[in-house]
Amino acid sequence: MGRTPHAAAALVILAAATAVTPDRAAAQTPRADREAAEALRFQPLSFSPPTASDHEIEGVTVFFLADHSLPLVNVYARFEGGFGLLGRELYAATTALPSLLRFGGTLELHPDSVDEQVDQHALQLAFGSSGGSTTATLNALTPNIEAGLRLWKDMLLHPRFDSVQVEVWRGQELESALRRPDDPGRLAFSEFNRLMFGDHPIGWEMAPDDLEPEDLSRATLLAVHGRILCRDNLTLGVTANLEWEDIEPQLRGFLADWPPCEAALPEPPVPDILDTPGVYLIPRELDQTTIVMAHRTAIRQEDSQDYFSSRIANSILGSSGFSSRILNRVRTELGLSYSAGSFWTTPSESDGIVGALTRTKAESTIAATRAILDVMEEMRRSAPERAEVEAAVDAASNGFSFNFQGAMQVVSRRVLHQAQELPEDWLERYVAGVQRVSPGDVRNVLRRHLDPDRMIIMILGDPSRFDLPPETLGEVTIWQVEGISDPGPRIGPHRN
Amino acid sequence: MTGRRSTRRRCFDCSRLLRKRAACALAVAALASLASTPQRASGQDGLIPELPVRELTLDNGMRLLILPRPSAPTVAFVVEYTVGGVNETLGSTGTAHLLEHMLFKGTTTVGTRDVETELRLFGPMDATHDSLLAEASATAPDTARIGVLEGRLETYGGLAQSPVVSNEFSRMLTRNGARNLNATTTSEATTYFVELPANRAKLWFVLESDRAHNPVFREFYTERDVVMEERRTRVDTNPGGLLHEVHLATAFLMHPYGVPVVGYMSDLERLARRDVEEYHRRYYGARNAVVAIVGDVVVDSIAKWAQDYLGDVRAGDSPPPVLAVEPAQRGERRVELVMNAEPQLRVGWRTVSEHHPDRPALTMLASVLAGRRTARLYKRLVTQDRLAATVTASTVPGSRFPGQFVVHVTPRAPNTPAQIEAALYEEIERLAVEPPLERELQRVRNQLVASGVRRLQSNLGLALQLASSVTRFGTWQATFERTTRLYEVQPADVQRVVQTYFTRENRTVATLVKRTEGSEP
Repeated sequence: MGRTPHAAAALVILAAATAVTPDRAAAQTPRADREAAEALRFQPLSFSPPTASDHEIEGVTVFFLADHSLPLVNVYARFEGGFGLLGRELYAATTALPSLLRFGGTLELHPDSVDEQVDQHALQLAFGSSGGSTTATLNALTPNIEAGLRLWKDMLLHPRFDSVQVEVWRGQELESALRRPDDPGRLAFSEFNRLMFGDHPIGWEMAPDDLEPEDLSRATLLAVHGRILCRDNLTLGVTANLEWEDIEPQLRGFLADWPPCEAALPEPPVPDILDTPGVYLIPRELDQTTIVMAHRTAIRQEDSQDYFSSRIANSILGSSGFSSRILNRVRTELGLSYSAGSFWTTPSESDGIVGALTRTKAESTIAATRAILDVMEEMRRSAPERAEVEAAVDAASNGFSFNFQGAMQVVSRRVLHQAQELPEDWLERYVAGVQRVSPGDVRNVLRRHLDPDRMIIMILGDPSRFDLPPETLGEVTIWQVEGISDPGPRIGPHRN
Repeated sequence: MTGRRSTRRRCFDCSRLLRKRAACALAVAALASLASTPQRASGQDGLIPELPVRELTLDNGMRLLILPRPSAPTVAFVVEYTVGGVNETLGSTGTAHLLEHMLFKGTTTVGTRDVETELRLFGPMDATHDSLLAEASATAPDTARIGVLEGRLETYGGLAQSPVVSNEFSRMLTRNGARNLNATTTSEATTYFVELPANRAKLWFVLESDRAHNPVFREFYTERDVVMEERRTRVDTNPGGLLHEVHLATAFLMHPYGVPVVGYMSDLERLARRDVEEYHRRYYGARNAVVAIVGDVVVDSIAKWAQDYLGDVRAGDSPPPVLAVEPAQRGERRVELVMNAEPQLRVGWRTVSEHHPDRPALTMLASVLAGRRTARLYKRLVTQDRLAATVTASTVPGSRFPGQFVVHVTPRAPNTPAQIEAALYEEIERLAVEPPLERELQRVRNQLVASGVRRLQSNLGLALQLASSVTRFGTWQATFERTTRLYEVQPADVQRVVQTYFTRENRTVATLVKRTEGSEP
């Protein structure tokens, strides 16, 4: 058999190297191959993870970590309260709140004046929200922190909710809703959440009905603002190239005069997660199909062996990229997808879901779906190799130092862990917990908590081009999506 | 190996005290520039940070930049090759990007239990692929023979797969705690990067050396299928991605900026393993590579490992230059993309490369037009007239050759792209007649200073920036000096570039027109 093109290329490489460095004998180059890589032994990291100190000012917990690497001050504010706690009638106002705090001006400053001050003091501001919280961050060069805190406090406490900016936000959301079908991934994932969680905040998607002008009246916005941006909901995280004594007076000024919260926030609603297996099809003329599947699971985030086993199980199943089985099967072995993986949500107060997702050309829709289900079944049937478990554990253990790359990372984690009522040493407990996981633990947790036969599968794509009828996966229901024309007549025929 | 320390290395050194002082020196300089309201060129010294970058050039021409930053025990590695989509020709588009994927497939020892068996099978497998292509493109394709050849290719693929340990390269790094293991291909560069715990830095040299010396392009045809799926995700089912592709293809008729980096589907379907191997041989020599290493490292150890493990990587030839020059545009070009999606608008004007003296003014113009909510186009189109939901401005697709200054707008229903075009041209005309206000530029300048400090926070971000600066401009300092040039831009400069480039004859307009499913356009 003749030399392969590859072998020829390798010879060219060697020849060229010799020509350029004729005095460098091959023996001088240390061995560089798999054996050499595996033979490397590394000194333990001599590393003392930085810890944030905790303080209380005006009844507000403040976590602080000095960071003298750059002349910056970062302040992270987390408020309990997000759209998931205040009901659908306030969905638009609660979701709009972060953007309008940033761009809606203050009682004293027009939005343009706020922007001028932001630029003048070279501030970097970010505002965000999730179902359960609202956040804001301020990043300032140290000499600008006093002016920055003053402006930021004004924005947080005294919002103008400028009517022009409210209308801009409303228009952008309406346009975003209109354009949702343009993004197959976004459409499939949001519809899957609607299917699984129904009328629970996780299943909500902003719709024109949520965005009537009265939904964003100043009175409504002020009511939402009053419920969330009050002292008892607030926790601060601060990093600065200053010592605590130097920054404390400025933080006292920032935290003075915050009103107490008038009423406690309601408890998060408990989702009623769909638990009946089936196939839900959104017909759409597309070259590529999006597939999402999941079922309910009872694993909670807590210091328990099942929880830690579920983390390693999910890593091996599909959450660790090229080290996981789903990507290995669907992408590397079969070439059916660019991205594929698993997810396993573990809320602390309610059930979550475990499942997988991928995108593949229309003609391999059923093959890709089957491949994922097969991987799940294989993992249920037999324990993973010990090497797989060790690799997943090693990835967490050896990468531990990446949890401390920046002071803000340390401080914001403390803020989050406190909000989640996790112990201060949760990160250390987590690593210790996953280190105890055995292959048998992985098999056991999967046998009890993962079942491909229970999967609820959503498929967004063109069924006339599928490799097999979707019915081969189970009973098919056409899932109606508002804004997409009636898809009924375009179903079939199927290609085999 | 030749080595030199940066001439800018003054105050940073090994002790924490000195590092701290250096950071503060940078800040003081930056803040001095911020506090004053500079006229031309004043105050910009603080925009160039004083980083203790150690530069090395190995005998084979490979350039290394090492920046010790011991704040956390991690280290970022970047290798950037000066090669990308512009080094391809029609018929073989997507080669650079597919090669990027293939370099994660392992080597003669990583990713296999029996490389000899694999290599023996590559020949007949590739020959079968060639026959299949020939038959499929025949005037009267023989479908039975195509079926036989497809079956044969699958059989060879199965046999070649049996000794493969899939993804072992990635698994070895991940198991050692790696983060952000990935790569990107642009029009002009291909960049590989990863972060590791600092105590495992040597592992990178061993694996990277092996990858440079002994790559094996296994699982080739499967990975080609993966790239086709990537194209379907990023382009074929992504209205914005497809409009971008169509826009570039209309604006650049001759220059390779007009072809997509991910490749056209018909090209991907015919790319062969030898195409990618040849591309690798031609462009992946050491003299075409820049390595940047930033993190908690001992410089001398890194320098020694670099010499030991990368010093005998093939130097390679200088890559052939891109000779194509896009002729001057002689009239407005317009293109429509019809698909089942809401309208979008892209308006581009042919401008200049990043080395041209007008480029800083064009970059500042992008900020003045659409850099923030107070920018002119945002205020006009989004806030005031409520014609649009979003507007952005940028120069695409690369920097080494004259590109396009593009304004991308998503209309707000029921407004049309035509309405937006009219308002956009009014704003452009206003700038041609009257320069922007000094305070508009000053606001951009203020943020330049702060962003210069902020971008020092990430090891990986800094390593990417240093490597990119060398491949684009020749020195790692150039990217910072570019910031200085931005700082120097005056209102009259902005007005001049608008007058020069923003003409009707020099623009290309791409519009996405909605077609509903089942209907004619």
